[in-house]
Amino acid sequence: MSRRRLALAIEPYLYTAPSLLLIIAVMLVPLLTGLSYAFHDIILLDPLSGDFIGLDHFRELLDDDGFWTALRNTVTWTATSVALQFGLGLALALLLNQAFPGRGLVQALTFLPWAVPGFLSGLAWAWLFNPVIGTLPHWLHGLGLLARPENILSDPHLALWGPIVANVWWGIPFFAITLLAALQSIPQDIYEAASIDGAGPWLRFRRITLPLLAPTIAITVMLRTVWVANFAELIVVMTKGGPADATQILSSYIFSLAFQRLDFGYASAVAAVLLVLLLAYAAAVMVLRHALTEPG
Amino acid sequence: MPKRAALLILALLASTPARADTTLRLVEVLSSPERTETLKELVAGYEAAHPGTHVEVTSLSWGSAFEKLATMVAAGDIPDVVEMPDRWLSLYAGNGQLEDLSAYLARWPDAQGLNERALAVARTVGDRPYMLPYGFYLRALYYNKAVFRQAGLNEPPRTLDELRADAARIAQLPGKSGYCLRGGPGGLNGWVMFGASIAGSNDFFHEDGTSTLTDPGWVAGTTWLIDLYKDGLAPRDSVNWGFNEVVAGFYTGACAMVDQDPDALIALKQRMKPEDFGVAPWPKGPNSKAYPTLGYAGWSIFKKSEHKELAWDLVVALNGPAGNLAWNKRTGALPVYTAAAHDPQYSGTIYQGWFAELADPDVVPTLMPTGLPGFAYFADSLVVRSSQQALLGQIAPLTMNKQWAAYLNKSRRKQAEGVQ
Amino acid sequence: MVRLFRYLALATFLAFALFPLFWMLKVSVTPDDLMYGEGVRLWPSRVTLVHYTDVLRRTQFPLFFRNSLIVSAATALLATAAASATGYAFSRFRFRGKAWVVGVMLVTQMFPLVIIVAPIFRLLAPLGLTNSLAGLVLVYTAFNTPFAAFLMQSFFEAVPKDLEEAAMMDGATRLGAVVRIILPLTLPGLAATGGFVFTAAWSELLFTLMLNSSAAVSTFPAGLLGFVSKFSVDFGQMMAAGVLALLPAGLFFFLIQRYLVQGLTAGAVKG
Repeated sequence: MSRRRLALAIEPYLYTAPSLLLIIAVMLVPLLTGLSYAFHDIILLDPLSGDFIGLDHFRELLDDDGFWTALRNTVTWTATSVALQFGLGLALALLLNQAFPGRGLVQALTFLPWAVPGFLSGLAWAWLFNPVIGTLPHWLHGLGLLARPENILSDPHLALWGPIVANVWWGIPFFAITLLAALQSIPQDIYEAASIDGAGPWLRFRRITLPLLAPTIAITVMLRTVWVANFAELIVVMTKGGPADATQILSSYIFSLAFQRLDFGYASAVAAVLLVLLLAYAAAVMVLRHALTEPG
Repeated sequence: MPKRAALLILALLASTPARADTTLRLVEVLSSPERTETLKELVAGYEAAHPGTHVEVTSLSWGSAFEKLATMVAAGDIPDVVEMPDRWLSLYAGNGQLEDLSAYLARWPDAQGLNERALAVARTVGDRPYMLPYGFYLRALYYNKAVFRQAGLNEPPRTLDELRADAARIAQLPGKSGYCLRGGPGGLNGWVMFGASIAGSNDFFHEDGTSTLTDPGWVAGTTWLIDLYKDGLAPRDSVNWGFNEVVAGFYTGACAMVDQDPDALIALKQRMKPEDFGVAPWPKGPNSKAYPTLGYAGWSIFKKSEHKELAWDLVVALNGPAGNLAWNKRTGALPVYTAAAHDPQYSGTIYQGWFAELADPDVVPTLMPTGLPGFAYFADSLVVRSSQQALLGQIAPLTMNKQWAAYLNKSRRKQAEGVQ
Repeated sequence: MVRLFRYLALATFLAFALFPLFWMLKVSVTPDDLMYGEGVRLWPSRVTLVHYTDVLRRTQFPLFFRNSLIVSAATALLATAAASATGYAFSRFRFRGKAWVVGVMLVTQMFPLVIIVAPIFRLLAPLGLTNSLAGLVLVYTAFNTPFAAFLMQSFFEAVPKDLEEAAMMDGATRLGAVVRIILPLTLPGLAATGGFVFTAAWSELLFTLMLNSSAAVSTFPAGLLGFVSKFSVDFGQMMAAGVLALLPAGLFFFLIQRYLVQGLTAGAVKG
């Protein structure tokens, strides 16, 4: 009996061990090394650098306009992208959850953007926004949305929308696929029972669909937020953070600090701040999710 | 029996190579498929002449070459020979990563054939040759003849005043602008060319080591370019243009003039009819002098290389007079050998713009201060951000020049203190 | 009326999803000399397949595709397997240190990867895992497993616990119950998870660029960057390669979508 107990006690660890060991070795240890740079004066290729400098980098941060601009842009970029990806992704999942002729084909086609590598997506959208080689400026002009058929990527007030649109395009399938998979797992008889009790479509959506999707929604929204906040590829390809830092987000800023200034120490300090902010955000979502999923 | 055994041993010995095989690692950074092909041909010739030595060619994509090589070298994964663009030289040489080539050059007969400029730029860092240049990239003015004709213009501008006047005439055509401004990545050369040509000097520093960029001449120069943009003589979205947008703008005739290097010809010829564009010397400023920028690239050997003699032989194979000519056919760069200027390769009409520049005593090819520590950050980050702010009217031209000068001053001080 | 609205919405989604892909296709069949001159036309006046034949014959793209397929498929398999085990543990057990395990996994998703490229390079180089496909699979699996595990957890949670408990009452081991009863019920989730990991590995750029340099072990996104040289970008070939790359990925979606639409019906659960 005690052997069986022991087996029961270690069972969860056996299930998690392979993932955990791999993640610790390949991600966590390099991460700790990377974070330790934040407290050192590390300039890539400079043999004289490497001194421990305590919190100097973090003090520098407080006066760094580039950092604060990037932080503001990160919030706009992340919130707008994720909200639109999620809203449209949910709508698409609900649409695809109904049977109609050709559903398989429509589903596969609407999911295709996800298969396009990020930087190729950025490039394709940068083409579309360019009035010389793309149609969007002319269409937006025709619709009266743009005064002149110009590249919004060059307008500091509009530029961030370029990468956001590309990101939404690219990310809708992510939510659509996950939510569709979750929708498919909801047993039909619950809906049937509710219908018999006289619940309309909206009530069924609010009372059945949303609560049952909640765990999936919480985890995907949280992870997606974290990824989007860290996702610099589209911005680097489409605008390089310009014009005049109008599209610089923290992760693209970190990239330019690391590989243009070669200042890995300072780049790590900015990354550490981003990490702390995202951890705080994730903790909030986890608390919320707990409250939603625990009955009573 | 012993005799047979001895014979057997002899036969075995003869069948193994005299020495162990050596592998050299060569890294190309400005890669393109055609160039890589030429590089591999040159390398094959070298391998044939050096039995037992194998060369492993790595062609990095230009878009990520800088990050990649820096990461490799920092992690101790160091190649033997590397293609070295001017911009990176101070970083690697200044941090003691590159081999001083003085001794090799001293005993190499073909070094006599190198032109003075090549010998000079090789010694950019600490007055020691840390690279052997293979070619020069001199800016000139490309102009769209078709658009010029439409605007009733017959020839390219000779002075900056004419450039502005021509641009103004072209801007009256529907959907056309005069100048393809590069406001985004890689724009610094343009700022320097206009700035120096208006200022009438290409000095970046006073004798006391402080930057000249806040002097009235330079401020007038940057203001001139900002006004060109603000007055609508360059496309409005050019504030964020990089190389591709500039070239696309020029191909399509959306803007009719652009400053470019000879190698842009390779891309241009594929997409434009030869009679529709021309290359003219860079226009002159108020003091009748012009200051087009001059870039270069070459080959360097890493100090950590374990086979330096073989590595030098490889550099010679790539960059001796014969190899160099074959190579520059692909790169489009101007020659480093005095004799090569007469090669038929450079005799076409299109190259005349550059040779006219080189022959004209009033055209002063201007080297960027790439030797300063932190130059890459200056050019790729600080200048891009502040010049975009200035073009958009968020800051005054003087403020921009002050930011640049402050960085250059700091950098110059670091250079003076630095270990060389 | 409702149905009309639904079709309209679906058509809008389709147009939005496909238009940029159509534009890539258009660029890929446009001859170089018309690339900019007819830049805003919906379809060029002359089309050419030369970019495709160039990509297939004169570049190493067939090799890059093969490498990408190997890396993505291996990563999808390994990460989904590891994540299923972990996700199952998260959903069914309360155990000491669970919060820490979840925390470690979350933290690894929350910072720009640029910061760990250099340490990972130093870690893998002595093991001979730089410049190798195995090294990429290792890194991609490690990076994708946390998300995949959380996703699988949420799918397992939708499956009632009493199912495997009933099977265990009947004498099956837990593992046997999971494999025979629970996993088949989470097939849509497994397919979605595998699909995500596959596409994440398929399009990853930073590590494949920084860890691998020789063409023999280059993946497709790194190969795409090869069209960007300092002085020109071969957009025609680049887009042709991009369109070609959509074929295997599109095929993959068709394969997994069978499982996505199959889903669970009430009958299947009871049956």
